[in-house]
This record gives sequence, C-alpha cells and structure tokens, in this order.
Amino acid sequence: MKIGLAGNPNSGKTTLFNAITGKTEYVGNWAGVTVDKKEANLKREYNKNKITIVDLPGAYSIAPFTNEEAIARDFVLGEKPDAIINIIDASNLERSLFFTTQLLELDIPVVIALNKIDILRKHGESIDLEGLSKDLHCEVVSVVANEGEGLKELLSRSIDSADKKTQASPDFSGKGTEGEDQARQAFVKEIITGTFITKRKANEITFSDKVDRIVASPYLGLPIFALIMWGVYSFSINGLGGFLSGYVNDTLFGVVVPDFLNGFFETIGVNTLLQSLIIDGAIGGVGAVIGFLPLIMVLFFCLALLEDSGYMSRVAVVMDRYFKRIGLSGKSVIPMIVGTGCSIPGVMAARTIEDDNERIVTIMLTPFVPCSAKLPIIALMAVVFFPGQSWVFPSMYLIAGVLIIIGGLLLKKILKFESTSTFILELPEYKIPSLKHAFRQMIKQAKSFIIKASTIILVMNTVVWFMQSYSWNFQLATDQNTSILAIVGGIIAPLLIPIGFAGWQMAAAILTGFVAKENVVATFAIILISSDAAIHSMSGPLTELFTPVTAFAFLVFNLFTPPCFAAIGAMNAELGSKKWIVRAILFQIGVGYTLAMLITQIGTPLIYGHLATGFIPAVVVALFVAGILYYLIKKGERIS
Amino acid sequence: MPLYKSKPGDTRQIKNVSGNEKIKKFLFSLGCSQGEDITLISILAGNYIISVKNIRYAIDKNMAKAIELV
Repeated sequence: MKIGLAGNPNSGKTTLFNAITGKTEYVGNWAGVTVDKKEANLKREYNKNKITIVDLPGAYSIAPFTNEEAIARDFVLGEKPDAIINIIDASNLERSLFFTTQLLELDIPVVIALNKIDILRKHGESIDLEGLSKDLHCEVVSVVANEGEGLKELLSRSIDSADKKTQASPDFSGKGTEGEDQARQAFVKEIITGTFITKRKANEITFSDKVDRIVASPYLGLPIFALIMWGVYSFSINGLGGFLSGYVNDTLFGVVVPDFLNGFFETIGVNTLLQSLIIDGAIGGVGAVIGFLPLIMVLFFCLALLEDSGYMSRVAVVMDRYFKRIGLSGKSVIPMIVGTGCSIPGVMAARTIEDDNERIVTIMLTPFVPCSAKLPIIALMAVVFFPGQSWVFPSMYLIAGVLIIIGGLLLKKILKFESTSTFILELPEYKIPSLKHAFRQMIKQAKSFIIKASTIILVMNTVVWFMQSYSWNFQLATDQNTSILAIVGGIIAPLLIPIGFAGWQMAAAILTGFVAKENVVATFAIILISSDAAIHSMSGPLTELFTPVTAFAFLVFNLFTPPCFAAIGAMNAELGSKKWIVRAILFQIGVGYTLAMLITQIGTPLIYGHLATGFIPAVVVALFVAGILYYLIKKGERIS
Repeated sequence: MPLYKSKPGDTRQIKNVSGNEKIKKFLFSLGCSQGEDITLISILAGNYIISVKNIRYAIDKNMAKAIELV
C-alpha cells in the first residue's frame, strides 16, 4: 500500500513524514524546504503490513507554478497512490481547502490531517471537525505532528479509507466551466463559514509583524542578518565548536590515538608498511578531517535553530532589492543560505524559483557560498598562516558575497536575460526554535559526516597514501618526488604556475578536493607526515609550500572553483542540459582561478616587495580572460 | 487604486489582478482574487507585506502595482 502526503508548503508534511517513518529528512520553517519526493516505510508500531509513505513538495494548487510543485502533481496524477493524507495547517484552513477540493476529485481516498491544532487553539480559534468531514465527504483528524499527537488515529483511518478505494467528489456546480476556480472558491467559503470560528481580525498587527518591522527594516535588515550569521559562525568556529575541534585534532588524533596504535602494533609485531598505512594514511588523513566533527555539529545545530525560527523568509525579503540589481530576486537567497551547510541541497532548493534564467544563475552562484566541507581547509590555513587573527573566516564569506554580486552581474551581461519573475513569498509566523529538532538535525549531520569520512575520504586517503609511497614501477619511492602522486600532480601543476603555486603537492591536494573538499586537508596531512612538525603548527611543513599570500590564494582557489563532484552532479541534474553544466563549470573555474591569481600576483609585490612566481604567465592569462569576457559581453549585447 | 498606493493598516477588497495568466492563477490559489479582502501590513525593504485570509506574504512593488483595489 502506498500513501502520499500532500498539502500547502510549510504545513508540516515532512515533520509528519519523519514522525511516522522514523526518518530525519530536512525540515525548516519556510515554504519550499522539500523540493523532492521522498519514500519510506511506515513504522511497524502503526501497522504490521508494509506501507510506503511518500512525502511530496508543497503545492498551493494542482496546477503547478514552480518545478517542485509539478513533482507533487505528477505523483498524485501519475502514480495513483492508494490514499492521500492531505496535511493542512489548521490556521490556514481557508487557503488550504482550495487544493483539498482538487485532491478530492481524483477518486483517490483522501484523509485530512489538521496539523498545528495547538497553535489554532492558542489563537482562540476552532474548527468543527465533524461538519468539515460531512461537507467534504472525507475523514478529518486533528494532529500535532511534531509532538506525535493524533498520529495513530490518522494512520488507522487513512488505511481504512484506502481499503474503500473510492472518493466522492465535492459537490458544487460550475465544474468544467471557465468560472470553475471561482465556483471552487465560493464552495470553500461556504464550508468555512459553517465550520471555522475565528476571533482574529485580518488587519490586526501581531507579534510577528512587529518583529518583521525590525528585522526586515530598510536600514537594520542587512546589519541584523550579518550579525546573526557572524554570531553563528564565531560560536561554531572560535567558540564551543572550535574549542572541541582543537582538542580532538591536537590531543586525540595528534597524540593519543597514534601513540596507542604505534605501541599496540609494535607489541604484536605488525609489518611496518601496514603500520604506516594505518597510522599515517588512515588515522593521519581521516583524523585530520574527523577532528572537525565537533565544529560542524555545532554549526548545524545553530543553523537548524535559525531555520526553525521562521527567520529565513525574512532574509529573502531583506535581500530582495539587492538581488534585483543582479537580475535575481529574494528567492535566490534561500538556496544560498542552505548552501552554507552543503551545496547539494542548496542547488536543489533553487527549484522553487519560477523563472528559468534566474534559476540557472542561482544554481551557478550557490556553490560560491562556502559549505561545511570547506571549513577544514579554511581552519587549517588560518591556524598555520594567520594565527590569532579572526578575520580569515569572515573574509571568506565576504568574498563569497562579492563574487555572487560580480558573478551575477557578469552572467546578466553575458546571458542578457530580462528578469520576468516577480517576488512573492509566504511569511510564516515566528516560533521558538525547538532544541529537540536542532539536536536531531545535528546528529543526522554528524552521522553523515562520519560515514563520509569512513568511506569516501578513507578510500581516497588510502589511494593517496599508496600513490605517494610508491613509484610507477611499484617500488617503494625513496624520494617522494618520484612517487606516483608527484607525477600525477606534476601533470596539472604547470596550470597552477600563474597563481604562484609551484609544486605537485598543491596540485595533488586540489585534485583530491574535487572528490570531497575535506580531502584537501587530509592529503596535506599524508604528504607532509614525514616532517617532524605537526601539520597544524605555525612552523610546520606547510610553510615550505606557501607564503601567507599564496596560502590565502590557495584558500580562494579551493573555495571558489567548482565544488566537489557530488555537488557538480546536483548542478548537472538541476540545470538539465550538457550545454549549461559545461558553461557553469567554466564560469566557476574562471572566477576562482582569476581571483586566486590576482591575489598572488598583486598581493606578493605589495607585501613582500618582489614579484611572485609565474608573473609573466599570469599576465598572459589575465589578458586572455579579459579578451574572453570582452567577447562574451559584446556577443550578449548583439543578441539583445 | 493599486495596492502600492494604499496605506499600511488599510483593508480593502481586491477589484482585479493584472499580469500574466500563470501568476494570476498562482495568486488565485493563495486567495488573492477579485472580491477578497487584502490588508497592507507594512512596507519593508521595498517589499509589501500583505495579509490575505490572515496569512502573511511579502510581494515586490511590481506585484503590488498589479493588484487593483476597490
């Protein structure tokens, strides 16, 4: 049996889905969190049989406005579930019933779940469940999905209804005529009059409205947003998260674990090469990444609290007028904030943007926002080259912001599109964020981080360790410079000379970064393990490869060139054509490469008084980039 | 009178909504259609915060121009 969950955006479909299946899918307090269909089995405590629950993106109507709404329609019309649970935010009953009456016409049994009934009561409103059920010819159950209230009854009634296999259509006249929508709305109004009792006035200024007047005010809006984000990041990176990560990095994986394992292997007499693989390759590499787990957990905990509060939609309102200047709208902000966690859901969140051009540009720009996997790279470079200086992290987000503006302007000029979409966004009521919810999201992120570290990163580390230990003839490399890794890195190293990166080590680290960005740190840890000083130390081996200026350029290069393969895959899926993914990747390489090159070639003479390595090639590349830009912009003008 | 000219706190009926069919249909599904009451709550950062059926939305100026009130 298959049961679909359908309803308006932000009515609580995914919260219900998580509660009845035990999953931990992404939940947030704004319209358009879920942009894809998700399936899972119903928990056995509700029913012994195998029942599949399908969570769908929210929709206001069966006729889709955006791509993710089309997914919901295609599912209910195409896959014909055995029953539909129509989730309704009880406070939004009248608007929701428009979609409900459309669902009732599909001849699929519908059960209405009136969610957030506790908030309705708090407002002093009430709904006549029996009356509603009689008017619509379907079961109505009141629930509080995040507390688990009423779910048993909802499921048992849904399963009973599914067995009936038929659903009576709502009876109003005017179907199939031009005025059908109007007739439908009149029918809904009639039902509301008889079943919904409210004391609230539509023009009453609520607490949420008062908060909005501060957080979305023309002058304070942007500073408040900057302050909140700065608070989240300084708590995660310099505060609690940074403290815990420092301990895990320096003490646990720096001393305790290697010492214990070295002693253990020596007593049982393991082959020294195997010992090296495990301690230098696996512990050294993966340990360098796992150390950042506490930092990432604290970050995701804070972000979950923020997302749950209802503030996200307000950020979109505040940023709308700035984004309008680069041809986008406030809707593009949400993918970018989601992208601070991971670019993949960020890129997918762009589905809620109706205009095709705006959606494409948003997908191209979202990976510029540093995701959580890039934080270890920033942390490593910051601690080695800029100790005690707190500007490094904020500067990366600032550069990301500037690149989004410049990138947006360039794309607008090159693609020459007229922005046609208009900005409209539902503003949910604020609520006190749930600690329980934030904790669950944090555990979920921690789990996926550990899985990633112990699979893709571990495998990659083993490969890197092998490649740097052996030469092509599968002999142990006596000199690291003759290792397989050095030769592979050496192939692309010349391309990095204009940026001032001389050496195969940087090339190798950058390459592994495309598999997963954390690998950049892990690869350095493995390559540089032969040195006595720890990788995190200020006089450590990294200082032989970089000056502070080239270290900063290296950061910029890793952060603002294309993201990891998984995120490129998501971009490919969302852009939907070879032509666009090629353009997107070229664009991102162009932006990241040029900026890193400028930092090295301008920063080095400014700070050290001499030219950086690769100055002449850099001038050639700069002229080439300028030429291409000129050509593309001219071409854009010709088209228009 | 178009919505963007009304004052915060005003509640009026919608006379008609102009613009392309798709957006009109979308607004209709939110209840933003002829004969419905609409309240302008505030104007924030260039956007119009409106209340329709006691639900808040932010809409930009272009859309506020497209909604004609009685």
